[in-house]
Amino acid sequence: MKKVIEVKNLTKKYKELKAVNGLSFDVYENEILGLLGPNGSGKSTTINCLLSLLNFDEGKIEILGKEMTPDLYEIKRKIGVVFQEVAVFDELTVYENIDYFCGLYIENKEKRKKYVKDALQLVKLEEFLNFKPKQLSGGLLRRLNIACGIAHKPEIIFLDEPTVAVDPQSRNNILDGIKKLRKDGATIIYTTHYMEEVELICDRIIILDKGKVIAEGTKEELKELTGIEEKVTIEINDLNESHIEEIYKLPNVKTVEYEGEKLVITYGKGKNNFSKLLDYLKKEEIYYNKIYSERPTLNDVFLELTGKELRD
Amino acid sequence: MTVFKYFFKVMKEYKWTIVLYTVLLVGFAGFNLQTSDNSTNFMASKPDILVIDNDNSKLSKNLESYLKENANLKELENNEEKINDALFYRDVSLIIEIPKGYSNGIINNDKKDIVIKSTGDKEAEYGKMLLERYLKISNVYEDIKNEDLIINKINKQLESSVQVTIKSKLNTTELDKMAFFYNFANYSLLAGCVFVISTVLNSFKTKEIKKRTVVSSYNYKKYNSNLFKAGTIFGIVLWLLYLLISVILLGSSMITLHGLLFAINSFVFMICATQIAFLMGNLINNKEALNSVVNIIALGSSFLCGAFVPMQFLPDSVLKIAHILPSYWFIKNNEFIKELEVINVQTLEPYITNIIIIIIFILIIQIVTNIISKKKRKFD
Repeated sequence: MKKVIEVKNLTKKYKELKAVNGLSFDVYENEILGLLGPNGSGKSTTINCLLSLLNFDEGKIEILGKEMTPDLYEIKRKIGVVFQEVAVFDELTVYENIDYFCGLYIENKEKRKKYVKDALQLVKLEEFLNFKPKQLSGGLLRRLNIACGIAHKPEIIFLDEPTVAVDPQSRNNILDGIKKLRKDGATIIYTTHYMEEVELICDRIIILDKGKVIAEGTKEELKELTGIEEKVTIEINDLNESHIEEIYKLPNVKTVEYEGEKLVITYGKGKNNFSKLLDYLKKEEIYYNKIYSERPTLNDVFLELTGKELRD
Repeated sequence: MTVFKYFFKVMKEYKWTIVLYTVLLVGFAGFNLQTSDNSTNFMASKPDILVIDNDNSKLSKNLESYLKENANLKELENNEEKINDALFYRDVSLIIEIPKGYSNGIINNDKKDIVIKSTGDKEAEYGKMLLERYLKISNVYEDIKNEDLIINKINKQLESSVQVTIKSKLNTTELDKMAFFYNFANYSLLAGCVFVISTVLNSFKTKEIKKRTVVSSYNYKKYNSNLFKAGTIFGIVLWLLYLLISVILLGSSMITLHGLLFAINSFVFMICATQIAFLMGNLINNKEALNSVVNIIALGSSFLCGAFVPMQFLPDSVLKIAHILPSYWFIKNNEFIKELEVINVQTLEPYITNIIIIIIFILIIQIVTNIISKKKRKFD
């Protein structure tokens, strides 16, 4: 696979604090790479360094085979960015905003007209052409923000937490749009702290913490790291210490936690874990309200690797 | 062209602000135009004088007739109390009492003094001057010893009275109006340019939008240069609008060399105002704060430099502070043009010096703006 971005030993300091600490990773053509990490893990700083918005202290960044500098306009032409903060003109309409930002890349008026139309279709804002940003809801505004960043049909797209504070319908629209962009040939670098989104759309994931890569791979590869196969959660009103000890002794059980009437059991590899647990509960006449089984999440991976929750 | 075109699209949102400042300018200048009067013709004012003729001679009647030509002679009952009241209430400025035997006194070389009472104001002084003039002439002919002959000689001499005309060709009223208009334009140009340009620039330089611009393939220097061009064109259009308004309000006076000097001075000042706008747009990120700063700059410098209150009425300490503001040199030039009688290279020296000072301000502000803009390209 063709390498489109190469980051080597990137370090960015704010006085004594290392916001990015020796970061190295590659991005390959037409993949969706997720940069996952809690707030302050260095995701946005990394993106800003890649885009030459920030000076960095050490390291090397190459995009499409060229070392990135603020004046590398031929490469910048192929990059689209959607920042976390909504960046649009309050004074302009939806159409004018997209046309303006597209115009920073595309001079040809006719071509631009078509591109703006395509962007409007992608984010489903055709009905709001003449609306001013203040007339749009938070979700629609985010969609406009995305349209402004990708209207010029870039080869590489940076999406920095584009779904923050967005309603579920708009979030689905945005994620569908991102999948469509990839289908059309774009390479996407997607930063977020929403692990569900990463799991849903990313081909490869880099987990960051304190400016460092702590894990890298596909979601399956990352989940392998935890050694957890299954997680079962049961709501039980009354459970004593001996019951917990008995459950812990069941086959493949790795951990048992009982807190606030919620029993969480994690299993290693093995078969029929769920049915063996149900048999035990029936035999002991332990009554429960809800019971469900799930695969381990990226949060579990993060918890396993750092000892803290992803959303802490 | 995108940045250039969209500068004006964003600016459209602030069109009412431009209208407001223009209406203020037209309103104040129009009001000034209505209330000014024409002062190019000289007319001697006539003091109110009461003449009490106790002599009733030909000579005293001649004096009274001379005074009648040059003053408003009042008639009053010869009652001391009423006469004093007239003086107290300033119904008359001067009372001239010709004593009995005045005429004989001149002929027989035994002159009787004329008694005068005055309010002491300028009208009374003028009345006294008229009397003294008459008496000085009559003194010249006191040896003639013939009352009719003396009167004849005095009247001939008085006929050669001085005609006062203003030698200056300056139409001071029109120049006053022009200076008033352009002094007030200091506020309108400054507020209009600084508010509109800096607010529009502020939109373009909002952190988020700037980030998006910096990461784009649009050359950043070209971006700044297009914003600069668009802002300057707006300034020129605003200046042309105000120039047109001044021609409409002041008519042919503006199509003179004085008019040209006012126009050039305001053009240079407009460039300075646009530079201040660029500086503010780059320096201040918050639109509300920008609004307050614009008001402080426009109103503050207009008050300090004499745009609203003429410079001569401002305390020296205020004018000293005003030296550091471009408005001071602009208004100083307007006041200079107003007084300028002969226009040539020598007489224009102070005008040119003031223009150069404004240009120095422009250069300094531009350098500072460039430094700030370069520093703000990075987001560290």
